[in-house]
Amino acid sequence: MVDPYSTLIGDLIDRLERLPGIGPKSAQRIAFHLLQTRDDEVSRLASSMIEARRQVRECVRCCNLAVLDECEICSNARRDRARVCVVEDPRDVFAIERTGAFNGLYHVLHGSLNPMEGIGPEELRISELLRRLSAEDIEEVILGTNPNLEGEATSMYLVRLLHDEGVAVTGLARGLPTGGDLEYADEVTLGRALLGRREFPAAEI
Amino acid sequence: MIRTGVEASVVRGEFTARGRRMLVAVEIQRQTQRRRVQVNRQPLRRSSDLRRELATVVFQPDDLQIVKGPPATRRAACDEAVALLYPEAEELQVRLGNCLRQRNALLRGLTVSQRRGPLDVSISQTLDVWDERLAMAGTAWAEYRIRALEVVSPLMSQIYSRLNPGSSTFVELSYQPDWLGAGLRASLAAARREDVERSVTTVGPHRDEIFWSLLGMPARTHASQGQQKALALAFRLALHDALSATRGQPPLLMLDDVFSELDPERRKILPRLFPSSQVVLTATESYPAATRESEVVDVTALLLGQAGWAAAIS
Repeated sequence: MVDPYSTLIGDLIDRLERLPGIGPKSAQRIAFHLLQTRDDEVSRLASSMIEARRQVRECVRCCNLAVLDECEICSNARRDRARVCVVEDPRDVFAIERTGAFNGLYHVLHGSLNPMEGIGPEELRISELLRRLSAEDIEEVILGTNPNLEGEATSMYLVRLLHDEGVAVTGLARGLPTGGDLEYADEVTLGRALLGRREFPAAEI
Repeated sequence: MIRTGVEASVVRGEFTARGRRMLVAVEIQRQTQRRRVQVNRQPLRRSSDLRRELATVVFQPDDLQIVKGPPATRRAACDEAVALLYPEAEELQVRLGNCLRQRNALLRGLTVSQRRGPLDVSISQTLDVWDERLAMAGTAWAEYRIRALEVVSPLMSQIYSRLNPGSSTFVELSYQPDWLGAGLRASLAAARREDVERSVTTVGPHRDEIFWSLLGMPARTHASQGQQKALALAFRLALHDALSATRGQPPLLMLDDVFSELDPERRKILPRLFPSSQVVLTATESYPAATRESEVVDVTALLLGQAGWAAAIS
């Protein structure tokens, strides 16, 4: 005879295990934690998951996650609308926002070119980007894809595509992390940093 | 080798490299067949990192296949030489492999109708990007191959002629990919139709032949088996010499059953070609008198079916 309680628990563990970064051990821990947590706490967790899923969608402009039609960044009148930074993932928007160094808008592709995973240009929000370029007054597109093979291929694809769109296309610099030690930098990063070296501006001398 | 009935095999060694002592332990698990490497009791992230710490050059009887086998074996031997001589090229090799896999995945993902008719603009633009990435990585890798062969080939020719005194010998390893003239980017573009039809990348460093020639003739078809074995051995010894020169520290040379692979004449000569650094030899019978051994380990007792075998495994 199958114990109905153990099936319920097993089901919960299985579902938790499918979440990113959660292995079988963590799934088990979380499941047993939930079972020993106060009823209303668990209800609140469940309802915030359901509400978030229900209400969050893609911004009609930049395809970032948004609660209203337009995300908070796109609807902010103080942002520089002439500059658009193209990133792979909504998490990259968070990362760049944390720097406080960028006041433009974003465009989220939701992935990178990756034939092995069946991702081509149609699977990315590239047509949305092209539509923006003809509809908005964009002067510069900053390519902020990841510095790996797929991210670089995606940037290269976009560079070619944007070639005759009449916008400046720039890419993020590659180099050394601030606050780190030269000796701990990997050879590839250090090599790129050497290739991308700059003359000190007169003001710094 | 893992003893029958046991889960894992461990080999430990103590080395002196670049003036410091190293304790190296390699464990092979029977179940996973994975190797775990520790240096000074610290696990290495990848077992291939050991190459940076401690270079080794190994000759095995199977090395005959480098000369005799299909082009892939000569590419692998050449790429091994690149990896040993230029450790910084490792990232490039990984990138090249990934570019190739991505391009092939794109080709395989095309539908039958896409494959027959003229290519969609969006597909051909995506292919352009992978062509470009592959061309960059492939061209850079080809340059490394050429550089490595330019170092190894003359050394190998010298060693081979010392192994064959009195006969005329000229050995050359060369790499001249067909695509080099037009460039890989243009060659990939020219091959696109065929690549699309066959769903595979037909041009590039992964398809090239590395020519091993003896007196200007291809060694694969024109050299005798004895000459082929001697060529494979000369390649390993030349790689050892090249590494000693570039690293300033001779790698460990391991010759597995080398004497039974050679004819009597070359057996007598080989010990004179040994470097002054450490050489580890295995042999199934006696070895030439000229071999100056410092230590002999007799492992006959471990041989399957020999007296003492049962005692050794129990």
